[in-house]
Amino acid sequence: MNLICEMAAPFVANSAVEGSQVARPFRAHAEACLKCQARHAAMARTARELAAMSNETLVAPLDLEWRVMSALEGDLALARSWRTPIAVTAAVLSMTAAVLIWRLRPRTQG
Amino acid sequence: MDMPQVERDKERELIARAQAGDRAAFGALVREHGNEVYTLARRLVGDPHLAADVAQETLIRAWKALPNFRGDAAISTWLHRITVNTAWTQRKRARRHSGLPLDDYIEVAAPMGADHPEMAGEILELRGRLRQALDALPEAQRQVVVLKDVYDWSHAEIAEAMGISVSAAKVRLHRARARLARHLEASA
Repeated sequence: MNLICEMAAPFVANSAVEGSQVARPFRAHAEACLKCQARHAAMARTARELAAMSNETLVAPLDLEWRVMSALEGDLALARSWRTPIAVTAAVLSMTAAVLIWRLRPRTQG
Repeated sequence: MDMPQVERDKERELIARAQAGDRAAFGALVREHGNEVYTLARRLVGDPHLAADVAQETLIRAWKALPNFRGDAAISTWLHRITVNTAWTQRKRARRHSGLPLDDYIEVAAPMGADHPEMAGEILELRGRLRQALDALPEAQRQVVVLKDVYDWSHAEIAEAMGISVSAAKVRLHRARARLARHLEASA
């Protein structure tokens, strides 16, 4: 194992993906070394395959839409289940307040 | 990806209706973008079951956040961002439950199988090895590679989505590519 090749490897990989030159400390070595050139070529090919993956779409599980919509339905049902008692309580409280105000209103003498 | 004007108008209409609370319109958006969201989730987290959970949570978050969607970016881009955030949250949750160190967690994720049996020969072989090599990366590293080298996000976008600095994103990407190259070389 050539130590310089191993030290240069990350820079060779990055330069292959970026399409840029190998970082300066390893440039001269990478240009002269067959192993590093092979690694560069392999990683350039990998980069092309990675980019090509953006055109592939995997198929989501068939129940994804159902799962999402059911969860939303559940959220709405929960909101509704809270809304009704709150509305009823608010109505009862305001009616009670109205009755109390009417009963306690100052009455005119005579 | 560019979309014909008619489809863009149709999508805009669906978004407007969904923003107004029309769940049927949102269902249509889920059908339109569900595969795309799942694909990104699968690439980010590796495991298909976890990816399905991430996709589900992403779409639920999207419904809740839809009133704030202004349409500055394409809805697919917006969904991608939510997917990345959701995958990140799931990862932290999984880490808490597993007790494994952050970078080790996804090392145990099941390898992704060959999803495209119709693809033959050398390319299929390379892609199979590439998927396995991606799956073998620690998740934080895999995410930067997927976002940069597959989805062509900028360093700044990655940094923002992952809550790290731009230089940290660059360093992580540098290390991830090096590790990916090592995995591929070892599996050749």
